[in-house]
Amino acid sequence: MEPNAALSLRNVSKRFPGVLAVDDVSLDLLPGEIHALVGENGAGKSTLSAIAAGEMHADSGDVVTSGTVGLVHQHFELVGRLRVWQNVMLGREPRRGWRIDVQAACERVAELAKRNGLEIDPNAFVDTLPVGVQQRVELLRELDRDPAVLLLDEPTAALAPAEIASFFATIVALAERGTAIMIVTHKLQEVLDYATRVTVVRHGRVVERMANAGGSVDAIARAMVGGELPQVASRELVTQMPLLAIRNVSAGSGERTIRNCSFEVATGEIVGIAGVEGNGQTTLADAIAGMIDCDGSIEPRIPMGIIPQDRQREALVLNWSLVDNAILGRQHSPGVRRGITIDRARAASDARWIVEHFDVRAASVDVPIRTLSGGNQQKLVVGRALIGDPRFILAYNPTRGIDVGAAALVQSRLIQARNRGAGIVLISFELDEIFALADRILVMYRGEIVGNFARDVADRAAIGRLMAGSQ
Amino acid sequence: MIRVRRALSGPAGAILLVLVLMSLAMIAAGTSPVEGFSALLYGALGGRNQIGETLVATSALLFPALGIALAFRGGLFNIGAEGQLLIGALFAGGVGAQLHVPGPIGIVLLLCLGAIGGGLWGAIAGWMKAQFGANEIIATLMLNFVAAYLALDLVSGPLKGPLAAGAETAWLDPTYWLPTLLPHTRLSIGLLVAIAIAFVLHWVFTRTVFGYDLRAAGEAPEAARRSGVNIARLTWLSLAISGAISGVGGATIVTGELHRFNTQLSPGYGFIGIAVALVGDLQPLWICVAAFGFGILEAGGLAMQASAQVPKDAIHVIEGIIILVLAARRYVAARGVGDIE
Amino acid sequence: MELIATLVLLTLIKGTPLIYAALGGVISERSGVINIGLEGMMAMGAFTAVIVSFATHSPLLGLACGVIAGALVGLLLAIAATRFKVDQIVAGTGINIICAGGAAYGLVLLFNQPGASVQVAALGANYWILIVLAFVLAIAMQVVLYATPWGLRVRACGENPKAVAAAGLDPLLLRVYAVTISGALAGLGGAFLSIGELNLYSDGMTAGRGFIALAAVIFGRWNPLGATVAAVVFGFFEALQYVLQGRIPWLPSDALQALPYIAALIALAGITGRVRPPASDGVPY
Repeated sequence: MEPNAALSLRNVSKRFPGVLAVDDVSLDLLPGEIHALVGENGAGKSTLSAIAAGEMHADSGDVVTSGTVGLVHQHFELVGRLRVWQNVMLGREPRRGWRIDVQAACERVAELAKRNGLEIDPNAFVDTLPVGVQQRVELLRELDRDPAVLLLDEPTAALAPAEIASFFATIVALAERGTAIMIVTHKLQEVLDYATRVTVVRHGRVVERMANAGGSVDAIARAMVGGELPQVASRELVTQMPLLAIRNVSAGSGERTIRNCSFEVATGEIVGIAGVEGNGQTTLADAIAGMIDCDGSIEPRIPMGIIPQDRQREALVLNWSLVDNAILGRQHSPGVRRGITIDRARAASDARWIVEHFDVRAASVDVPIRTLSGGNQQKLVVGRALIGDPRFILAYNPTRGIDVGAAALVQSRLIQARNRGAGIVLISFELDEIFALADRILVMYRGEIVGNFARDVADRAAIGRLMAGSQ
Repeated sequence: MIRVRRALSGPAGAILLVLVLMSLAMIAAGTSPVEGFSALLYGALGGRNQIGETLVATSALLFPALGIALAFRGGLFNIGAEGQLLIGALFAGGVGAQLHVPGPIGIVLLLCLGAIGGGLWGAIAGWMKAQFGANEIIATLMLNFVAAYLALDLVSGPLKGPLAAGAETAWLDPTYWLPTLLPHTRLSIGLLVAIAIAFVLHWVFTRTVFGYDLRAAGEAPEAARRSGVNIARLTWLSLAISGAISGVGGATIVTGELHRFNTQLSPGYGFIGIAVALVGDLQPLWICVAAFGFGILEAGGLAMQASAQVPKDAIHVIEGIIILVLAARRYVAARGVGDIE
Repeated sequence: MELIATLVLLTLIKGTPLIYAALGGVISERSGVINIGLEGMMAMGAFTAVIVSFATHSPLLGLACGVIAGALVGLLLAIAATRFKVDQIVAGTGINIICAGGAAYGLVLLFNQPGASVQVAALGANYWILIVLAFVLAIAMQVVLYATPWGLRVRACGENPKAVAAAGLDPLLLRVYAVTISGALAGLGGAFLSIGELNLYSDGMTAGRGFIALAAVIFGRWNPLGATVAAVVFGFFEALQYVLQGRIPWLPSDALQALPYIAALIALAGITGRVRPPASDGVPY
């Protein structure tokens, strides 16, 4: 135990029904350091941060801090319909008598932002801001409390490559002023670039502690997974013929508009659409899936397999069994429906097929799907989309928030479908995933397609710049 | 200790709660619980007449409870069952007084009219929700009042029976009366119709595509929408069917029990039906059992008031408490007031 | 022209209980809790005001107790919603039935006659104070919600309680305060019905006003002043129905009584697509 640690976790454990999320973890954070906490999805990182920040109580163990602990969450906890200053000053509003002193609040926010090198309009409504700017609001809210410790959970997930550099400039400056910083992340290259120490967790326990001196991404990744990384299927040579043409598609309104999007998808091709979250990808996906009206044309209208971005809200009925979920989306098609009834035998056999071919780990096909882990839920969603071998597949963040093993399987299945001649549109916020899977890479920025590269000529730096809106 | 707690949080606990609360209500009214409960139980089950009355109440409650459960399964809160029941009864009573067709045809016709009336009333709210995103709770409740005044108006005027003393239609010709189920009681085969509907609903929920879509819309509306379910159509269709079931219930009260229509025919069956649906866990077959339990309370409650001087409104308070307690169990997909689909 | 004066006065009288209930609805929903139980809280307020006035011969005391009764029922809903995280709509429905049944039960027990109480000491000629108070409270709530720290926190609660928690506050406690106040306001509206406008309590006297108030909340876009205007509009229709009774030969009096409800229905249908409730309205935290 370090005597001058800013934050000390000692033998902390936390159990949720059915799973030990945090298992006897001890950790020290020193003032001025940038400490990376890495582990794959489901390893317990977010739970640890919540406990360290005091948002959650550990079942056992101690949390000792030398001052306030601030936490910037992975999914921001902001009030979209309120202004920036209202979000930042919530709970500490400057007063003039019984009313809020709006002027003082705005000035304080502006000054705080300037001191940390952040650009923000205190009066703007948060839901009008791009996602990357919204993060600054949450950051400012925590900084206003002058924390001794600042925890950041997946802070660069919604930032363009260029924004990431300036984000870290702010963080490094904070560390130099003495704040203890812990970043929970799965972006290992950033860990190597910026962190002073690394702690690796797996299944809720600390498995490795490293000082960051010339380490390698692979070493950290292997520690995260506890062995060799699972291999993804390899791409094969496929003849390509035109499959789907999207021409001049415009749709959506306000912040979510897309304009004049045009591209083509061929058989045996994965078209990857890169871009920072919030640049129209959801509108494009909804237009392709036929969920919203659009101008322009998407031809021809062929049956498609769809992997939505939010499995719990858009793809599953959590209380239902795997059997019932296996036919969700296909309950009106001739094979699954028999007249006005559902063919239950067919639903059960479909569920079993998916479980077998997509490695879905479940006690049985009759258990409620909410008892499955995120990775297994997603494998069912993917299996359901691919059952019947559709000619066209729309995959939107297909590996978001799932463990490495499940992610590798999902990616393999997509490549295998491509090898069999399917055309796939893959929308992903992870540039690594796009580069791993796509035959062609498009970039979306502010609702428009601003780049279209074949795989072998795609330049990562150029794509990064396009994602941020510069040339 | 934990075992006791767990046992108490299930149906045993609920029954215990009811017994305790009822005892309190009896004591407050100046009656001993022994006297109160015996009056209630005798009034509900003490003899052929009493059992008949209990089953009459069971039947009357079962219809709206089934309708409410169907709407609830689809994520819609139908508190307009009272109005839907009333309009169904109005259609049956109003037309029935002027009917001139053979008996059996007439009976079927009147029950169908009940379904149409109630279905229409439910469809209005359903259409408003589907088309405008109007909150169905407020809409169905407003329609309750409109139904009450509409019925009162028609039955004091154009539909008033020529020999009627108050606001009601003429008596139905006996050929249109539902056959009695239990001789020398008021119980008609309406009860069997209700039970049959319960079995049909069970089949619909578990086996049909419509039932699948309905349940998906109720439990995961966004996933249902993306799976191809036409939410707008499902909305008004399920409220229409829900209303139709209550409407048939109203028609059975007119043809089986009262043999005419007046505006007093329901002591709030449409609202008690909510409690019945929740106690039955929104499952049609269990709702039949729940309806019997509440039928005992209703019929027994009247007797309790008459012989033990405990106001029967105590029963309604108990029913409200049951609903409040059961609010913890059922969580319908979150909907805001003024929700837009 | 005396007809217009009557209409205006009646609009204010009929609108006042709706204003109180609607303000209650606004503060509750802004904090994130749907209050379907407004109807029951009004009934409790009306009933309590009458029995206390009957016992003490003091309408003022009756008024105060009516407010307290409404607040207690509001507290019941608040606890159910925050501590037990129940389905707020089902809970509100249960509360309505409890209150209506409880009042009916109390009527028989205390006055030995079902249906209505005896006449009690009422506000009489001073009822106009409550009308003015309604508008004053509307303005007060507008100011509190939009200019004070507490109001800001309540609004944040209704949009995203997690943000409130992240700011170091307790969203559940804020909701409890808001919903209890909501009940108190509804109770005040109910008390006006029984001892402001009249001088007795009768079964079902709230007649769906708690739900018309909810329609006013939606129509007024969850804004205190907007909801007040909407409440007055619905009050107008109720007043209109009164005034027109018997004046239009071909319009039957019973059908006319349905006017306020039909007005609420049309209002619900008319504001399509342009309304967004507080984002966390109805979602247990």
